[in-house]
Amino acid sequence: MKFTFRPSPNARNTQSTKGIMFELTLGLLAVFLFALAFYYVEYGMSYVIHALSLMATSVLVAAITEVLWCVFLKKDIKKHLSSSFPIVTSTILVLMVPISTTLYAMAFGSFFAIFFAKLLFGGFGHNIFNPAAAGRAAMLTSFAAAVTVDMTTGPTPISSIANLGWIVTDQTVLGELLAQFGGLQGLLLGWYPGALGETSALLILVIGIYLGYRKVLDWRVPVFYIGTVFALASVIALVRGLGIWYPMYHILAGGLMFGAVFMLTDPVTNPTSAAGRMIFAIGCGIITVLIRVQANLPGGVLYSILIMNMFTPTIERLTDGWQIKKAKSYAISIGTLSLTGIVLFVFIANIMIPVVPKEPEPEVPVITLGDPIGIFSPATSTATPELTNTVTDGNVVTYTVSSKGYAILEGGYEGAKPNVFEIKIDTAANKIVSVKFITFSDTKGIGDKVESAIFLDQFKDLSIDDEAISVDSVSGATITSVSAARAVRFAIETWKGE
Amino acid sequence: MSMWIGPMKKHVEGHKELTNYNEIVRLTAPKLVYIPIFNFNSTSFELFVKEGDRVLVNTKLAVRNDNMTVPLFSPVSGTIKGIQKVMHGLLKPLDHFVIENDGLYEKTEAFAPLNWQEATRQELIDFMMNAGIVGCGGAGFPTYIKYKFAKNVETLLINGVECEPYITADYRMIEENIQDLMIGTQAMLKAADGKKAMIAVKETKKELLVKLKEAAASYPSIEIKAVPDMYPMGWERTLVYQIFKKRYNKLPGEVGVVVNNATTAIAFAHALKGQPIIEKMITVSGDGIARPANVLVPVGMKAADIVEQLGGYTADEISCIAGGPMMGKTITNDQFVTTPYTNAITILKTRPIDAIECLRCGRCNDTCPAGLLPVRINNAEKAKNMDMIEKLNVNDCIECGLCTYVCPSKLDVTEGVRRAKRILALKK
Repeated sequence: MKFTFRPSPNARNTQSTKGIMFELTLGLLAVFLFALAFYYVEYGMSYVIHALSLMATSVLVAAITEVLWCVFLKKDIKKHLSSSFPIVTSTILVLMVPISTTLYAMAFGSFFAIFFAKLLFGGFGHNIFNPAAAGRAAMLTSFAAAVTVDMTTGPTPISSIANLGWIVTDQTVLGELLAQFGGLQGLLLGWYPGALGETSALLILVIGIYLGYRKVLDWRVPVFYIGTVFALASVIALVRGLGIWYPMYHILAGGLMFGAVFMLTDPVTNPTSAAGRMIFAIGCGIITVLIRVQANLPGGVLYSILIMNMFTPTIERLTDGWQIKKAKSYAISIGTLSLTGIVLFVFIANIMIPVVPKEPEPEVPVITLGDPIGIFSPATSTATPELTNTVTDGNVVTYTVSSKGYAILEGGYEGAKPNVFEIKIDTAANKIVSVKFITFSDTKGIGDKVESAIFLDQFKDLSIDDEAISVDSVSGATITSVSAARAVRFAIETWKGE
Repeated sequence: MSMWIGPMKKHVEGHKELTNYNEIVRLTAPKLVYIPIFNFNSTSFELFVKEGDRVLVNTKLAVRNDNMTVPLFSPVSGTIKGIQKVMHGLLKPLDHFVIENDGLYEKTEAFAPLNWQEATRQELIDFMMNAGIVGCGGAGFPTYIKYKFAKNVETLLINGVECEPYITADYRMIEENIQDLMIGTQAMLKAADGKKAMIAVKETKKELLVKLKEAAASYPSIEIKAVPDMYPMGWERTLVYQIFKKRYNKLPGEVGVVVNNATTAIAFAHALKGQPIIEKMITVSGDGIARPANVLVPVGMKAADIVEQLGGYTADEISCIAGGPMMGKTITNDQFVTTPYTNAITILKTRPIDAIECLRCGRCNDTCPAGLLPVRINNAEKAKNMDMIEKLNVNDCIECGLCTYVCPSKLDVTEGVRRAKRILALKK
């Protein structure tokens, strides 16, 4: 008979860290499956294969990094791997990147996350920064353009609203913005391209509720984080008169829901007290909205986590003590932090400027000059123009001449009116000074090519005494060109006739 | 409160079905019984018998003679063989009377019975002292002290919660002695000069609740209260907060409550009839014992003798725990003896525990019923940061074991807190 000694208690809960990590991995894989389904249906098998390659790369690089670490430090590989959980970090990392990510960027991110963000800090349980977030941040800064060309997808909700300055007051623009993703409902369902695992807010929410119920994660963190983002976006919406869509957009778009459920809740980088985790989550919420609306930076969620990770030891110090006695000070701290956030965003809401989306640039008509028109040729002798005004200023006489373009044609379109030109003649040098359009009445997009300086500048300095002067007509706009020549002839003849 | 701190309690797998409905086994006293000359934290006793003296059942053997008075009584008749150092259930070697049982069970009167309805409050408290009534919940604190200093008592709370896993002794004790529980409760209410009494039992014990409500129907001053099946609901602070939503600094008297264990109330009722605590209902359970059962044993019986009468151990490697698996100490032999305040012996098969790094999940902080931060205390202890240990209020820990229980990384969190307490005490 052997009596074993163990300090009390001798009863243990069945939940283990390994079990927690296993359930978390299952949750992540469910999100990954959704992404595979989306890319298969919308883009085809090659996208699915690339997504699977990204996953394989990330997991393999993470595992190899851990194994090499063990080899160099002479640790028991099996024991180390079973208590280091590289699969969780590497899976989260894959779910944060867009499908267009190259495999070498993925490998770099995975290595960075495991080696620099985790192992160098002392391994699982000792890392200061969320390893997946650190890996993703390193990828963003180092491989911003490392996207495969043949993997093109559409704009993401975050990039779309960021281009509008995170504030949309114009109803038409808002309609277009939401329509891209099938409205708020579409954002909730997540059937649109984005980071692999971040699109379906609904799926992530359901998994989050399940994991919270299973006590795999502390419900306080996602609830307070999402709540803070919603509240602060509501402040902006109230101050600027935006609708409920605005806070909803904030919580449904981008990596927010994914971050709330899978990243903020990383226990290793959280404070250990309930109140501390609440402060952590509220702080992340404030920074996320701040980065979104005030910094020209993607990944507000990501950077908010990394920034708050740095505050974790401070928060721990703040909440240290006897919790029962400190409950009141916890409530005050949390209240103060929330209030500060609200006041900050009342101010920020007032300085936010909506970016007006640019109208599409009008196409510059291509102007080529064609056949010459003699000013005194027979073509200009018909349909005598009318003189509507004459101004004499020293040596310069300015005639305003109304000359028919399309209006000349019988059966020309209804209500066709003549074009009106302003022609200046230097009476001392006997030269034309300039020819300008006053009113253009011919076909837009065709005849208006004649308004181009390329055509009108031809008249400059032509001698009014030379019967052989000519200009080149604008190709495709001969009738309008002729109307100009006719007006000039009329002006010269008017001058000579006086 | 639970918003900022966490639930401060947790449902713990009870395994109560092992012994809940089994027949109570009355064990015969062995040849040698050992009576620890010890109470609560004191070994200061005046001895009335010496080696070679013949004693009878109920003979007063000794009395605690420092600032409290607690008599010890003989459970058998026989001869004093001497005083011997034996491992006690609190994991320390202590002096024990060794009595050779002659098997005759000749009785003497321990003290005169008392009619509680006619007795004054002071008489009741003195009687409680002289009858050696101690807290039967496990600590063995002299009960009369609570009543002596009771002032402005609103409620006498009789604790029948029994939140430790495996243990069903209180449950069976109440079930078998419902009328005595009512008498003991009323007598205690009188001794406390309180307004009303409340008997708290877990809400999951539906049959017992029905029986208790039936019995209490004829006593308007006694209320039956059902509380959630959580650990450590049987701890005074947790129970008082659960029922009255009040917290106190040192003693529940601050919020007008006196708390006593249900078995203590029954023992008091028995004492009023002239019967001191010389016999105890004990749960012997766990997967390491052949026939788990509630046993009625004389005080001073060795664990080994009890185990033998219940079919012995079921495995070669076991943990033998004096008490329940949460708070009971693991003893590396089975030579410790039962006391008036022993309520269980838990025998578990030894299982390997695969501990890994702390993942800082904070479950220990959320569930700590004392509102402490066990993981922070452990970190401070590792760093030997005395100021921090003190700031973290480590001495309010009652070693309920919940922090180790909930730890998903299977770390000995409670032991770390114990170490912190120890180094803080050494420094002072």
